[in-house]
Amino acid sequence: MSKTVIPFGPQHPVLPEPLHLKLVMQDEIIVDAIPAIGYVHRGLEKLTETKEFTQNTFVVERVCGICSCMHALAYCQGIESLMNIEIPDRAKYLRVLWAELHRIHSHLLWLGLLADAFGFESLFMQVWRNREKVMDIMEETAGSRVIISVNTVGGTRRDISKEMLTKISVIVDEIKEDLKQVEAAFFNDYTVKHRLVGVGVLTKEDAYALGTAGPMARASGIKQDLRMTGYSAYGELDFEPIIEQDGDSYARTVVRLKEVYQSINLIKQCIAKMPEGEIVVPVKGNPNGEVVSRVEQPRGEVLYYLRANGSKTLDRLRIRTPTFANIPALLHMLPGSQLADVPVLILTIDPCISCTER
Amino acid sequence: MIENMTEIAISQLLSETQKMKYEDYRFVTASCVSLGDDGCDVIYHFDKDLEMKHLKLRVGKGEELPSVSKIYFCALLVENEMKELFGINITDIAVDYGGHMLLSDEELESPMAKQQITIVEKKGAK
Amino acid sequence: MVNRSEVKSMFDMIGNIFKNLGSKPATRMYPFEKREAFKDARGQLGGIDIDACIFCGICARKCPSDAIVVNKAEKSWEVDRFKCVVCSVCTEVCPKKCLFMSENYTDAAYTKEKAKHVQQPKSTDNGEQASA
Ligand code: SF4
Ligand code: SF4
Repeated sequence: MSKTVIPFGPQHPVLPEPLHLKLVMQDEIIVDAIPAIGYVHRGLEKLTETKEFTQNTFVVERVCGICSCMHALAYCQGIESLMNIEIPDRAKYLRVLWAELHRIHSHLLWLGLLADAFGFESLFMQVWRNREKVMDIMEETAGSRVIISVNTVGGTRRDISKEMLTKISVIVDEIKEDLKQVEAAFFNDYTVKHRLVGVGVLTKEDAYALGTAGPMARASGIKQDLRMTGYSAYGELDFEPIIEQDGDSYARTVVRLKEVYQSINLIKQCIAKMPEGEIVVPVKGNPNGEVVSRVEQPRGEVLYYLRANGSKTLDRLRIRTPTFANIPALLHMLPGSQLADVPVLILTIDPCISCTER
Repeated sequence: MIENMTEIAISQLLSETQKMKYEDYRFVTASCVSLGDDGCDVIYHFDKDLEMKHLKLRVGKGEELPSVSKIYFCALLVENEMKELFGINITDIAVDYGGHMLLSDEELESPMAKQQITIVEKKGAK
Repeated sequence: MVNRSEVKSMFDMIGNIFKNLGSKPATRMYPFEKREAFKDARGQLGGIDIDACIFCGICARKCPSDAIVVNKAEKSWEVDRFKCVVCSVCTEVCPKKCLFMSENYTDAAYTKEKAKHVQQPKSTDNGEQASA
């Protein structure tokens, strides 16, 4: 039988990400997929070599808009461990608070995009309406909506007042109530299930061998969540990674939706336990040595490899983002699936191509 | 400074990686540091139950580095990236983009490598 | 036969219909109704109190995007708003605290203009020094 090659992307209605796939088709079934990236390579890793290590926080935040706070967190943690800085407890809790807010807004964004990808516009609208509340919290506490620039080497740049903390906890409760109603559509709706259940199954063994990260891995039954290592204040908070066994698109949706609830829970714990005190310690001297720093982002683990030489600039700052780890899994899932499922499949890895290319 | 880092030679790479695979480690990624004329440091990161292990090796300029993508398929992206940005000669990558994964034709060759002089010469030649 | 969960979701739905009838929309009629900017939001780099500036150049050195150019001889301070990433580092490091942020976002612009401020001679004797 003859084969057809269909180019998918880099401009595609369902996907704002510039990912290009060459899909080799046999009728409606995909037999092979070759990804092509490189549309948004900005050379940020090279740029960091010319900046001071304190300025790099702002560069790494721009690697990805959605998880910017966690990029800065991973970077600052790396530098802090190089320079043996112990940051104040309050800063640790604040970092977790902002990081979890980021996780909520990222997952809600993704849930909305997923609903949009299979054509459920009102669900998309309902999810994003809730996301807007998180964005407003972000703007009110940190000063900007997306790239919130709160982390700095040695602590955080802003503090959150008591009244604001109470307000945050009221708002996240509201979001929880609203989401409880939306949840039914994701979990039980016939159409939604029809589009997700059994689509793009990734077995546990495959997921492990392909080095997947984050919700992708957890939906395939791998208990892997870097927050378990207890960086920042996570060690003092109570949570269990959310695991699903089926490894299909539905399982990945369930994991992300449940993680929103988990993040709300973590935020409430954070607010309850928030210690008083300083939020930043002064930083003196320059970093020296090499370190690997890892943080759990909404999309999975991010790895920072830093090498410093005792001067103001770093020798090397290397970022491995979660999507980079999840693309091989995508290539594994695509062959054998239907052309109509491609948008959903690509979306369930929660791709962030500008992260991937940096 | 980094825990569990083993320095190896290029010839040991495939056997050590195979050993990692047997011990059920997950391939996280590889990092590359350009050392100018001395070549590059390449560090392979592995992870098992949130514990990391690293293999470090040094590739001289123009030396060949075998690909580990036959053992860990997921290494292909990062190996293509290193080949492109640092100009390491990695052989037998499962899918070789031939230097066009991230960069297009017009861009400089191996922009991440610290080799200012050659870049300037290239510009002049064009 | 309808099962219990369907009956429950039906009641939820009816409740929601009445709630939606009575509640305001989640969106705003934007050009007519504008949301107040939050206090301390980083909208844009508001500007400089040029008379207080001592032209030390710290802001220009610390700016992560190299948006500021300070010229000590000319007594000028210049920001390229299209380079600025509104991080507010410059306002924090300025020893004279003469830079300030504004809560409102930058308006859309037609041309890429830079904002240049030159210190005018303050009092007569200062001015004489500057011209001398
Ligand atoms: S840091 Fe302040 S005083 Fe110094 S040049 Fe900048 S604006 Fe002027
Ligand atoms: S706000 Fe940030 S980017 Fe803008 S001029 Fe000040 S330091 Fe530079």
